[in-house]
Amino acid sequence: MNMYKHELSAYRKSLFGWISALVGISILMMSMFPTFSKDAGAFVALLSNMPDAVLAAMGIHMETITSVLGFYGYIFVYILLGGAIQAMLLGTTILSKEVRDKTADFLLTKPVTRQAIVSSKLLAALTSLAVTNIIYMAAACLITALVSESAFSLKLLILATLPLFFVQLIFFATGLLVSVIWPKMRTVLPVSLGVVFAFFLIGALGATTGDDKLRLLTPFKYFDTSYIVEHSSYESLYLFITIAWVILATALSYIIYMKRDVHAV
Amino acid sequence: MSIIELQQLTKTYGSARGIKNLSFRVEEGEIFGFIGPNGAGKSTTIRTLLGLIYPTSGSAKIFGKDILLHGQEIKKEIGYLPSEVFYYDNMKVKDLLHYSASFYKKDCTKRMNELAALLELDVNKKIDDLSLGNKKKVGIVQGLLHEPRLIILDEPTSGLDPLMQQRFFELLLEENKKGSTILFSSHILSEVQRLCHRVAIIKEGELVSLEKMSTLKANNYKRFKLEASTAVEESSFAIEGVTELVIRDKEVSFMYKGNLNAILRVIASIEIANLWIEEPDLEEIFMHYYEKEA
Repeated sequence: MNMYKHELSAYRKSLFGWISALVGISILMMSMFPTFSKDAGAFVALLSNMPDAVLAAMGIHMETITSVLGFYGYIFVYILLGGAIQAMLLGTTILSKEVRDKTADFLLTKPVTRQAIVSSKLLAALTSLAVTNIIYMAAACLITALVSESAFSLKLLILATLPLFFVQLIFFATGLLVSVIWPKMRTVLPVSLGVVFAFFLIGALGATTGDDKLRLLTPFKYFDTSYIVEHSSYESLYLFITIAWVILATALSYIIYMKRDVHAV
Repeated sequence: MSIIELQQLTKTYGSARGIKNLSFRVEEGEIFGFIGPNGAGKSTTIRTLLGLIYPTSGSAKIFGKDILLHGQEIKKEIGYLPSEVFYYDNMKVKDLLHYSASFYKKDCTKRMNELAALLELDVNKKIDDLSLGNKKKVGIVQGLLHEPRLIILDEPTSGLDPLMQQRFFELLLEENKKGSTILFSSHILSEVQRLCHRVAIIKEGELVSLEKMSTLKANNYKRFKLEASTAVEESSFAIEGVTELVIRDKEVSFMYKGNLNAILRVIASIEIANLWIEEPDLEEIFMHYYEKEA
């Protein structure tokens, strides 16, 4: 419990930063919706002149973009991107930071098992992500209600926003695994950003070609907002992949970290 | 009962570093010196004992319990001070000390304050702002605040000024008197000489010698220096036990181990002007061990 508290307070500052950023982006972009919907016809005409590939890459769906949820789905892509970076950074940092700051010697010579160390850190990180999601969810509901002129389904909005948590879990687990496989990683930022953007670009590319195999490769496309809005549910295959990967990567991280030699830096 | 017991402990890395078949025991109440140059394997041994790295083969016990099976339990009663001090960003000294204390199931506040006062450590400062010496003090306090039964020190004195070093040694002696066993790794031999009861000398990962400090200092070697009245033949000193023979004009110096009568007979046969027979300090013994086998 002491480690959990310590970890939580260590992430506190960056957590508030990320929450403000995500909420800020959604407020900024959603506040454009009233203007957008007023001139929706002109916008749609403008957009329809663009090549289909570009629209697909940008995640714009002509049929839904003019509805508030469709518009939200469009901006949500960028929320996902931000959230993924936050989660990946958290994942790569929590264990590797101890090595870089030489605090691993401190922690590992205390009467605790390595398992307890990883669990405390995981729990603290998950708490951070959960807090992010709860606050973001509340903010998203509020701002959508404010900008929307017509009624919309709150349930659908929540269903469409929950994937933020799922995608964050994927990238968090991935980051964790990367950090234990590659413990000598000096700087987590470029690695984390690189991985997240790579997947993001694969996603954009996959959308233009409509290739389903590419879609498997990018968590950003696992939870398609238009599908969710249309069916009020998630695609079970991708939900399954998400759960499986998060469990697998976390378990592997545990195993590798248990067995690893922690060298003096 | 042995506090620490190493049995054929081996740790190999890809490169040449590591330890090979290291076996020795540290008994309860001892201050045990562990010496060798940088890279000899001192830290590797200590890190293995603490479960930071895992042995390739062999085993070790602390308090009679296997280090791999009972790591968590063992560490309740170990205080460890690494050579390089760690710090968490943005933490005050007292926050770190309280965090450290929170791992032990007892109230350490009193001892913590005593130690901080003794070392003149300002607990309200941020660790980031401390000098190296003061960070070291934080390390000392966190390592001792739970009054451990075994104190493991890995080159602990770097960065401490002589006065603090003195106080730190007194502190260690006091802990030792109260019953703590101390494993003291160092390449600064005068420190080891002042504190330790027994010494293990390690070289390239192997144990070269393990002796009582008194044996090491008194019985084994004497340093001879003499000034002759006439030129001296090198051949006169060609008897067993003489090493590091240096003859410069009429000045002769060497290390000697063996029957003193034999060497005195040799010296008596020379017309000498002056003679010094000294106890070598640990440094010389140490160099001797290393040069002999180099």
